[in-house]
Amino acid sequence: MLVVRPATPADLPHLERLAGSAMPRLTNLPVHRDRLEERITRSQRAFSRDIDFPGDEHYTFVIEDRERHEVVGTATIRAQAGASEAYYTYRQETLIHASQQLNVRREVQTLSLSHEVSEATLLCALSLDSRYKGTTAESLLRRARLMFIAQYPERFSTILAVAFPGYLDGEGESPFWNSVGRHFFVRSFQEINHLAGVRSKSFIAEVMPQFPLYLPLLTPQARAAIGREHPDHERALEEMLAEGFVRSRHVDIFDAGPVVKGERDRLETFQRAAWHPVRVRPDAVLPDAEPAMIANQKLGDFRCVVARYALSPTGQLMLTPEHAAILGVEEGRAVLAAPLGLPDAEDAIDEGEL
Amino acid sequence: MHIRPIARGDLDGLQVLAQETGVGFTSLPDNRDFLASKIESAVSAFEERTPADDRLYFFVLEDDARGELVGCCAIEGQVGREVPFYNYRVGTLAHSSVQLDLHRTIDTLFLSSDHTGDAEVCSLYLRPEYRRDRNGALLSKARWLFMAQFRDRFPNKVLAEMRGVFDENGVSPFWECLGSHFFPMAFTEADRLTGLGQKSFIGELMPKFPIYTPFLSEAARACIGEVHEQTRPALEMLKKEGMRWEGYIDIFDGGPTVEAYLDDVRAIRTSRLCQVEVAGEADNTERPSWLVSTTEMVNFRAAWVGRGPDDHDVITLTEEEARRLDVGAGDSLRVLET
Repeated sequence: MLVVRPATPADLPHLERLAGSAMPRLTNLPVHRDRLEERITRSQRAFSRDIDFPGDEHYTFVIEDRERHEVVGTATIRAQAGASEAYYTYRQETLIHASQQLNVRREVQTLSLSHEVSEATLLCALSLDSRYKGTTAESLLRRARLMFIAQYPERFSTILAVAFPGYLDGEGESPFWNSVGRHFFVRSFQEINHLAGVRSKSFIAEVMPQFPLYLPLLTPQARAAIGREHPDHERALEEMLAEGFVRSRHVDIFDAGPVVKGERDRLETFQRAAWHPVRVRPDAVLPDAEPAMIANQKLGDFRCVVARYALSPTGQLMLTPEHAAILGVEEGRAVLAAPLGLPDAEDAIDEGEL
Repeated sequence: MHIRPIARGDLDGLQVLAQETGVGFTSLPDNRDFLASKIESAVSAFEERTPADDRLYFFVLEDDARGELVGCCAIEGQVGREVPFYNYRVGTLAHSSVQLDLHRTIDTLFLSSDHTGDAEVCSLYLRPEYRRDRNGALLSKARWLFMAQFRDRFPNKVLAEMRGVFDENGVSPFWECLGSHFFPMAFTEADRLTGLGQKSFIGELMPKFPIYTPFLSEAARACIGEVHEQTRPALEMLKKEGMRWEGYIDIFDGGPTVEAYLDDVRAIRTSRLCQVEVAGEADNTERPSWLVSTTEMVNFRAAWVGRGPDDHDVITLTEEEARRLDVGAGDSLRVLET
């Protein structure tokens, strides 16, 4: 049985392990004990405070396999991508160079440093034990955060964003970094990524070239990597697109991985989430039903599980005693439920620019 | 041999030169109408009928013995007044972070029109068979005497654009790496349009943001501020006069734009006026070292002479020299030892 819950100090060794096994390594999840410990502390503070509007809070969750008594994944919400500092992205832009004299019109692609995503709430730092890849656990860990945000909208921005790890070649090299950042830092992508995690990314971004980059001057390999996700994250990206996120013009400044954005109210989980009073029934008598994410309404003791979306004719959600116990709810208490399944993904760039 | 302002009767001679120069000498296209209008505009400049900021002083080198034009050179009174004058300035940006133990400087190309309003020495061509007896130096340096003589017609700064590096196939690595991405044409075509003075396409199509040179190929970076092998002697001659490369380059081929304050140019600083005496006998000097010019604009003449002035600033010319310069005893000449 799987449950998503806030991270606690006891989870530190697990976070360390998950940070080390993340593929590729994540800036937001550095393999650095002190930093991870700080993250847990910071997260606990966020879960315990009264908050009226988003700021520099981080909410770090873990997913636990209750049968194995093991933490097998982690994920974080940053209430504001760039709260205390700016969140840097490259924005893909098109300039029209037209000459009346020659009667020609050329479109020139550029990448411009942008802080536009700073306001958005960022879903980040997701790492899952490889044995659970492609299972319900992956979807639950990824989207339980949406169940949390749905319950505490005042703590988050109306725009959510996810930055997917960018394309790396067979040797773990980032062609984009090698064509862009490397000129300025003389460090490998892995080194700079680690530094960014341990220190801060925006602090490195400040040393990045500040003028827009002309795409025709980058290597073909670097251009091909722009907006392209790491092969291991293709399915995750698909899931978020199915959730209702759309590709934006923004890409990561180090590896050019895609940044997807979603307006909260237009995401499937928010649209389909519904409150139901709980009825506790033995497993054997529960009717068959599609799986759903079920979350309790306890801030610091947030729990989210996957269970059958078994509704009584009067709209009560029927839970097994085990699930009710994990969620910490008794009969009559309300839980938030949303279907785990998603419609087919629509892969589109957001022309409207949220 | 002498230098004089181009005249209306020079059209045929100029066209012969234009046919010889070929590609790469873009200010003299083999186009009779264009050349005729060029002559007209130069005549009007020398007659001071055009405003001072729009004058092209175009000179020719004439072989007196054969009455043929064998070379040319010009001074643009002020660049960038009619159409924009673009350069890249090679600037340095520091990318530095104590925490990252990082300190790097990145050469960056900034599009600039900093030279707007400066004078330009340009369009120097000399027929190959005349590349001897300091004829090249005559063409190059006569312009300094002209500017010294008519100093008030010129701004404070002067520049010269030097031809950049091309490989054995006539390809500019700098253009291939940068300009070709933005201009839908071959280098020669872009260069030709520029020569014709049709430059508005540059501003329309050129990248406006600075270019970080690490994004350029090694071959293209190697062109920055470097001249074509054949241009080296011309560059050396300008450098001796005090012109310096201050980091400006041509936007197409990356060749250096050298510049100086007019009053710092050696020839302008050291030339002086002398009185003419005419005496019969000729000196036979192997290598002339005294350059002289007359003091009137429309009848400007410049030539090498066999000897310099005496202690009383009197310069004695042979009859042939006096005829060549169209001066007589008692006239003034500007002289330069070089």
